[in-house]
Amino acid sequence: MATQAQCLSYAGCNFLRQRLVLSTLSGRPVKIRKIRARDDNPGLRDFEASFIRLLDKITNGSRIEINQTGTTLYYQPGLLSGGFVEHDCSVLRSIGYYLESLLCLAPFMKHPLKVVLRGVTNDQVDPSVDVLKATALPLLKQFGIDGESFELKIIRRGMPPGGGGEVMFSCPVRKVLKPVQLTDPGKIKRIRGCRYSVRVSPQMANRIVDSARSLLNKFIPDIYIYTDHMKGVNSGKSPGFGLSLVAETTNGTFLSAELASNPQGQGTAVLPEDLGRNCARLLLEEIYRGGCVDSTNQSLALLLMTLGQQDVSKVLLGPLSPYTIEFLRHLKSFFQIMFKIETKPCGEELKGGDKVLMTCVGTGFSNLSKTLK
Amino acid sequence: RKKLPKPSQVGSRQKQGSENLINENSDIEDLLKEEEDYKDENNCTTETSGALKWKEDLSRKAAEAFLRQQQTTPNLRKLIYGTVTEDNEEEDGESGEELGGLFRVNQPDRECKHKADSLDCSRFPVEAPHDWDLEEVMNSIRDCFVTGKWEDDK
Repeated sequence: MATQAQCLSYAGCNFLRQRLVLSTLSGRPVKIRKIRARDDNPGLRDFEASFIRLLDKITNGSRIEINQTGTTLYYQPGLLSGGFVEHDCSVLRSIGYYLESLLCLAPFMKHPLKVVLRGVTNDQVDPSVDVLKATALPLLKQFGIDGESFELKIIRRGMPPGGGGEVMFSCPVRKVLKPVQLTDPGKIKRIRGCRYSVRVSPQMANRIVDSARSLLNKFIPDIYIYTDHMKGVNSGKSPGFGLSLVAETTNGTFLSAELASNPQGQGTAVLPEDLGRNCARLLLEEIYRGGCVDSTNQSLALLLMTLGQQDVSKVLLGPLSPYTIEFLRHLKSFFQIMFKIETKPCGEELKGGDKVLMTCVGTGFSNLSKTLK
Repeated sequence: RKKLPKPSQVGSRQKQGSENLINENSDIEDLLKEEEDYKDENNCTTETSGALKWKEDLSRKAAEAFLRQQQTTPNLRKLIYGTVTEDNEEEDGESGEELGGLFRVNQPDRECKHKADSLDCSRFPVEAPHDWDLEEVMNSIRDCFVTGKWEDDK
């Protein structure tokens, strides 16, 4: 790049992914200091190093400098090149951790991205691949990212601590994104779910269903929960089970909730019945929060609005998560975009809590590295 | 929307925004005066008292709406964009007292450090879960479903 953009500086390891993603998209170098500087074990962790390696694989010409203790990271982004990439993710975090950032970057590659990620598919910390498949992909479609090659396939399932899962994600590239007007979530017409179990009796997954269904049936009759019991080499290295639920509305909004069993050797055993009931409760909480975008995907929606054409985009969200609030601050420092934020009180309608209407004008970002055919 | 704020809330609001209220009231009154003059010219015969009453109510309503706006919208904006610079500028340990002229006692702002180095996760955990077995809690989201009540225009 001919002109050097001014370097942004941050402290602490929190929000590392969004800083690096926004740095890559905006072309501004970023310096992160004091990464766990006061910790007994200072510096970057394995999963963060793995994330940086993944970022290095999908870009061309990035410069990454880390000091000896790993407490300072300098990242000067290169061009997003894409293509076919294989990556072994750290088992400390699930594949969702890596995939969330890839979802932000994939539409802006030079060559369409096709990536195989190996590691933990479902854990208790990050959004699982099931949930991202059910919520984030439809969201990207709203912005005009669609096509035959747009898919997320779960090839093998892997639970913590062993991992051993594998997913394939491929995404087409776009030159520009469509502005969106997501102001009415519509009404929930059905609830779908996926219960999975690996290296335990398939009966565990069956026991989840009834308790989840009994609570949700009080609201809507159209509930179907798929069973996914993977065997042999496809079932990873550790036992476990879990449930993910997705509520779909008439206007194409997807709200999700999920729970997974405790990793082997950590905590007490979870009863499948309790897990099902608690997961159903979490889904109801998510419906109470409401909005047109699931709470885990708020920042993805806001990013795609920012990178849209120079036109007004609107999206109705539930309460903003701390992650999203920090993301908004980062959007301001990387792209100089400030959102108009209007609170919409719930009033007397029986539609859950207060909502927030976010409005912005896109920066007119276009993918200049996309090859013309 | 139609819900009137509780008396206690109104009291605190008026205390907080009393300055704003005064300014706003005078503005509103100016506006009202103009409007009254205009109205008076147009129809002196119709019930002026009724119209005035309606206007009094309007000024109060406007003031309340203004205060409500002040309380919610800019606060959220201020919460998000107001404190952006502090995070980057803040330097640690400089103010710590020295021991024997050699060692410096670090007293990090615990909360801030905790936030800077906490877990990087996009999940938004529920802080105060509702009790979904209660009928009224269940009713609070009843209309989010197709089985609930639909708006008139659909």
